[in-house]
Amino acid sequence: MSRKLLIVDDESHIRTLIEQTLEELEDEGIEFLTAENGEQALEIIQAENPQLVFLDVMMPKMNGMEVCRKVKKELSLHDVYIVLLTAKGQELDRQKGQEVGADLYMTKPFDPEMILSKAKEVFQIQE
Amino acid sequence: MAKLNLKSILKKDDTVSVLQSLVHSANLNICVTDETGNLLFGNAETKKENACPVMLNGDVLGFVYGKEKNIVAAGFLTYVSQKEAERKKLGAEVLNLYQEINLIFNFSEKLAQTIDAPSICAITLEEARHVISSDQGVIVLWDEKQKKLQVLSSFGDSFFKEETINEQLSVLLRLILNGQSEIISDTFALIEAGIILPGIKSLIYSALKVNHRIMGAIVLASNEDIQYTANHLKLLTTLALQSSSAIESALLYEKNIKESLERENAMRLVYEATGKFVPYEFIGALGHKLITDVKLGDQVEKIVTVLFSDIRDYTTLSEQMTPDENFKFVSSFNERMGPTIRKHHGFINQYLGDAIMAIFPQQPSDALEAAIEMHQEVRRLNEERSLSNKVPIKIGVGIHTGPLIMGITGDEHRMDAATISDTVNTAARLESLTKQYRASILLSDACLLQIEKENFSLRYLGLVKLKGKNEPLHIYECFSASPVEEANKKQKTLSAFNEGLTNYLNRSFTDSVKAFESVTEVNPDDHTASFFLDNAKKILQKGVPENWNGVMEMTNK
Repeated sequence: MSRKLLIVDDESHIRTLIEQTLEELEDEGIEFLTAENGEQALEIIQAENPQLVFLDVMMPKMNGMEVCRKVKKELSLHDVYIVLLTAKGQELDRQKGQEVGADLYMTKPFDPEMILSKAKEVFQIQE
Repeated sequence: MAKLNLKSILKKDDTVSVLQSLVHSANLNICVTDETGNLLFGNAETKKENACPVMLNGDVLGFVYGKEKNIVAAGFLTYVSQKEAERKKLGAEVLNLYQEINLIFNFSEKLAQTIDAPSICAITLEEARHVISSDQGVIVLWDEKQKKLQVLSSFGDSFFKEETINEQLSVLLRLILNGQSEIISDTFALIEAGIILPGIKSLIYSALKVNHRIMGAIVLASNEDIQYTANHLKLLTTLALQSSSAIESALLYEKNIKESLERENAMRLVYEATGKFVPYEFIGALGHKLITDVKLGDQVEKIVTVLFSDIRDYTTLSEQMTPDENFKFVSSFNERMGPTIRKHHGFINQYLGDAIMAIFPQQPSDALEAAIEMHQEVRRLNEERSLSNKVPIKIGVGIHTGPLIMGITGDEHRMDAATISDTVNTAARLESLTKQYRASILLSDACLLQIEKENFSLRYLGLVKLKGKNEPLHIYECFSASPVEEANKKQKTLSAFNEGLTNYLNRSFTDSVKAFESVTEVNPDDHTASFFLDNAKKILQKGVPENWNGVMEMTNK
């Protein structure tokens, strides 16, 4: 498994935000990849095999749920740690998130510290 | 912010592809290394050639080696690095703002789940110290009524001297209540004035305001020489603003709760007081829960048992007492009777001087049991009275079961709970009869019909025509309350008594006299037997009156 992480969101400022939040991981040699829709995300996951994916749920073309389901259920890439991100107030999706095999579920506005510590945990980087 | 490095810039696909096409089209023979010489791109052979640095804000990020034109590649990489640095700077700023929004969002969420002021203050301080490095913190509120500062929450060693916090009001108030937010880097004067403890190096505070009214302040302090910034102050002010309105609501909520509890308490006292004047059973019988629901004209008809009790010869007794002694005597008597009646599910409808009128809405036996216990209570009272050489008292009790109307009469401004019923009159008259028959408890057949007779000691006393009534009434004596010896004698002579009465009613007066004499022989104190015996003897002497039917006529009340 490569030390890569993928950030998927159709909004560029959210991608920048997550990148910026996780900046210190770059110093640990972790490669950052980004995708702006579901289809693109699926291609990158298959090609680059990232260890961690931050996946927005509400996206055009293919939504995050569908991407997650394809990765976990169809491609059986169980080693990819997938964090689903949804806007606050859409927490009803939580159970659906579990059904499609997501490893974690976070709401936006996300807590930058939580995202960072989760990423460090996945890459087994000491705080 | 992490330092930008050439390695990460050269990892970006588009940068690499532009560099590659540049190398290709210009036919460059170059290599790129980082600042320590690690090869990142190109032909390592060229490292022997000229080096041209890639610069970012005066820092060397790396070098481009090559014979010629390496300066073009270095210029390109410098440009890309600058753009990347700008992007990162912007990203960092956005993240910073995002973190602030996140902080405020979380803070609001926590506040929304908290309703007491101290907890709100504790949450505020916790959030504040999270974003503003500090060793001590406190939230003080100004109590306008007591003219005092109140510490609602704090962390770290208190930097205010708790005991002197209010002694230093003039200086503190200027600090706290000026409604400003401020950073104090020079704490010397405050330490000198004894307001804060020595050791505090920096201080930052913000007023807590609601509608331009200053409630108090949040103060953070550090033992280190921290330079608090305008951004810190902005955050603290934001937290203070949110916290103020939450604290205000919490205090109002508390006040409301307190007031409604007081109101409830006052209402309860009123209900308790009115309950003593108008029994709850009465209100309940009218189908209401609260006395405030009762209306003029409310009424209900029920079958109840009425108990009427009276102190014998009270007039004689009261003549020997002062009005004050009279009142005390009646009060102490009623104090004993009230609980006895309530114990048997009855309620006192009226105290009429020395008389008591009680209603038993459930079973007639309740009334009879209460009457027996009332007599026992009177015996105990007499034991006490004998200690102070007072004459014993006696009561008579009349019990009757029948319909009764309970209702609210009067006018709009003066209402009264009233009972209108012939049942009450009958019970009162039966009580009156106890004097004539020398019985302690008299009850009507209407009452006895629903009573398990074997549980009580009873004697049939024939028919009585009460004053103002057409129909005669069968009456019974209950002697369960009599002293044991007397009760035993009455029990022993019961069949002779019944024989005497039957013969009396059947006009066999000689046999009646014989039977009653056998009773009085055994029990000379049986005044009821004597009463019938005298009557029978009188008739034997004077002959049977015209229209005689055995019914006792009761002419006086």
